Amino acid sequence: MSTAAAPVAATHHEHHEMSFVRKYIFSTDHKIIGIQFLFLSLFFLLVGGLLAMTIRWQLGFPGRPLPMGGLFPQTMAPNGMILPEFYNALVTMHGTFMVFFAIMPLLVGVFANYLIPLKIGAPDMAFPSLNMWSFWLMIPAGALMVAGFFVEGGASAAGWTGYAPLSADQEYTGVSTGQVLWCLSLIVFALSSLLGSLNYITTVINLRAPGMTWFRMPLSVWALFITAILGLLAIPILAGALIMLMFDQTIGTHFFLSASGGQPLLWQHLFWFFGHPEVYILILPAMGITSDVIANGSRKPIFGYHSMVYAIIGIAFLGWVVWGHHMFQSGMNPRLGTTFMISTMVIAVPSAVKVFNWLGTMWKGDLHLHTPMLNAVAFVAMFIIGGLSGIFMANTPVDIYIHDTYFIVAHLHYVLFGGSLFAIFAGIYFWFPKMFGKLMNETLGKVHFWLTFVFYNLVFFPMHLLGMGGHMRRIYDPNQYEFLQPLAPMNKFVSISAFLLGLSQLPFMVNFLWSLFKGKKADINPWRDNGLEWTVPSPPPHGNFAHTPTVYHGPYEFSHPQAAEDFLPQNQPLPAAPLQPGGARQETR
Amino acid sequence: MAHAATVHPHPEHAPGQGQVGVYTQKLGMWIFLCSEVMFFTALIGSYIILRWGSVEVWPRPQSVLNIPLTAFNTFILICSSVSMVKAFAAITHGDQAGLKKWLVVTCFGGAFFVGVQAYEYWHLSHEGFVPGGFVEGSELFRRALEGHIAGATGGTIVPAAANLFGSTFYTMTGFHGFHVTCGVVCMIWVTIKAFRGGYTQTGYHGVEVVGLYWHFVDLVWIILFTIVYLF
Amino acid sequence: MAEAFERKHPNYIAVWIGLAVLTAIEVGIVYFGLTRRFLILALMLLAVWKALLVALYFMHLKFEPKRLLIIVLTPLPLALILVVFVLQEYGR
Repeated sequence: MSTAAAPVAATHHEHHEMSFVRKYIFSTDHKIIGIQFLFLSLFFLLVGGLLAMTIRWQLGFPGRPLPMGGLFPQTMAPNGMILPEFYNALVTMHGTFMVFFAIMPLLVGVFANYLIPLKIGAPDMAFPSLNMWSFWLMIPAGALMVAGFFVEGGASAAGWTGYAPLSADQEYTGVSTGQVLWCLSLIVFALSSLLGSLNYITTVINLRAPGMTWFRMPLSVWALFITAILGLLAIPILAGALIMLMFDQTIGTHFFLSASGGQPLLWQHLFWFFGHPEVYILILPAMGITSDVIANGSRKPIFGYHSMVYAIIGIAFLGWVVWGHHMFQSGMNPRLGTTFMISTMVIAVPSAVKVFNWLGTMWKGDLHLHTPMLNAVAFVAMFIIGGLSGIFMANTPVDIYIHDTYFIVAHLHYVLFGGSLFAIFAGIYFWFPKMFGKLMNETLGKVHFWLTFVFYNLVFFPMHLLGMGGHMRRIYDPNQYEFLQPLAPMNKFVSISAFLLGLSQLPFMVNFLWSLFKGKKADINPWRDNGLEWTVPSPPPHGNFAHTPTVYHGPYEFSHPQAAEDFLPQNQPLPAAPLQPGGARQETR
Repeated sequence: MAHAATVHPHPEHAPGQGQVGVYTQKLGMWIFLCSEVMFFTALIGSYIILRWGSVEVWPRPQSVLNIPLTAFNTFILICSSVSMVKAFAAITHGDQAGLKKWLVVTCFGGAFFVGVQAYEYWHLSHEGFVPGGFVEGSELFRRALEGHIAGATGGTIVPAAANLFGSTFYTMTGFHGFHVTCGVVCMIWVTIKAFRGGYTQTGYHGVEVVGLYWHFVDLVWIILFTIVYLF
Repeated sequence: MAEAFERKHPNYIAVWIGLAVLTAIEVGIVYFGLTRRFLILALMLLAVWKALLVALYFMHLKFEPKRLLIIVLTPLPLALILVVFVLQEYGR
């Protein structure tokens, strides 16, 4: 299927001289916006990570003052001794920052913004100005969230899931303003996210270049598109629930306060009705990135492209009817529990299809284990573990024992860190050259990867064991319970591994920052990939393409038997004859 | 391929295949409205759930709220929807005068609706009905205590029954009113642009798109009026 | 991109009259003294009828491509799932 290319050059060619502020700060260019998201979310990833280190200090060395603890105010850690109330705020804010201000913006804010127009052959997003707003709303959202630490009563301490009535009545946590700020911040965040989703969906539907049919789109774009739909429909539920919670906290409504007829369980239903599609928002783009990188690193087409697309759609579809598996122990109607158990088991199937397809892609491939590929393969391996632990908790009777234990913490970190974060690293290493026109250092990249991979597993795998041993989550002092005291050495081990995991990120930070300024110049297609973004300069100019590209085939034409190279960009027609004129016949291994 | 040509992005001129068949701004507005449906689902769905599961007998809305006034207000909002679509029809026929006239009518209709709602809120809170329910010692609280406020399913209510009634009433109608207010602001902006000759027979997308938002807001009110005031 | 077809305009005044009449009926039947179940059913039907009139005629969904209709309908089953599932929490 091909259509004639429509020359974009026919449009008005305004040479507006934009000020530095309009070009790099209040920019409507999706690439600049994507990079802005990158810097912002890497900063919050650091914040979330430091919060995690503090949590691990308490769990590994309870009773010992924090190093540099004197810097903390008396209300949080007098003499460096973390207070229980502050510990609750730490776990809450670690989760909140990581989910909403690190992983989501990294996967969606960065990659959806940066990649979608480039990969579909469009000059920019459908609504560039709205896109700018989408980024800048993250600033007040982030500020409001951080502000929680500086108000009386401290930051939100009701868990990142904000269960009512704990979050609705300040009597329970002692946190008043901080809790309201948490709600307000996330409402602003929701608006930012919504504007983004709107843009991504409209852009993918309407702005694809000629020849870029639905089934020629890269899987990263498919994943980001479906993710945007999930976000569009799920995030407003969160916004509504947060508004109701905020009203309970401030103007005397009683939505979730049972003392006046409200329903605490309603909060849980609303939150998880959003929350479950949310976790698929956190994993689908990672899967999409992984597909692109693994095909590239294997020099092979993705195994089962169509089933990959249907699996993404299937996961998204089913994701709407599994939310109750977060609530098995909440006291909800048991018959509902059974329904959710069944649907949750079923959702494992499309995920498994994807895993087999990645393995099938790598099978007998010409493996190039560059840094992005290492991270992408790690994604698959870690996602398998995280997914398998999910099967355990999908079973209501098993969940009775492991709910709210470290088994769950292990699961969520295997999918969010082992999964999403490794894919994010893969994506950053992969697209850094395109974004900044510089190469990252490959050696440092590999050092970062291996250190992270080893210490990450040393931190989170033992948590499965801790959980099965009965170690509950969000607990300030596990040693108060005799049955948990034997687990103290394991906690210490996990904490030390966590500190080393934290230090392992230094090579990445150094590599990233140094390469920005002093990295080797990247040429147009350093990874020898097929995506349309690799057909334009690094970095691409404003407007992306000098002429609207025409797409001739799918994005995974690696090692095509008749092609001259082992890759074939989407804007080049498939070779017709067995021999290229003047070229050697490509040998496939 | 190397010259860094700055190509001016023109999303509206993108050719299409496998598309929905509507122009980008309209598609964008419909997609936005899908998210709004979910937002009101959270609020209205919670209302349905809380009311269905309420232990106390729910107050009969007619005993607390002013039905005739709100019914009239509903009619005005519907009229403003008609004037909106008449404005749109006008510009598709190139009728600039009609466009301006009907847009102004729409602005007034919307502003009137918001005004009446604001008055309603003021009056109700004056009588003691607030988001938290009936204020202790207020007129409505006293009447409920004395068994003068009917229940929706029969009998009379206790003052505490108004707690959830207030929470849901104010949140749903308040956010709807907020959406109408935003709509009025956009409507004024579009009207000003119309008066400046900003729309033509072939360039009317802004009118259509703001019209879609306006009708949506009317549609939500149709649902709200029924399930909040009449049930 | 401009649409290829002529903009169809239904009779908006007829729709307006329909909406006004339905609203009047809605308000009227509240005072009829119907049984609760029948009243709820009738009000829901009337409200949905009005909503459809606005959606199909004022918002032109009747004249738009079918694909748009599919997009627009997508949130509705989700809304239904949320409410129906959570209502199971209550015994009645």
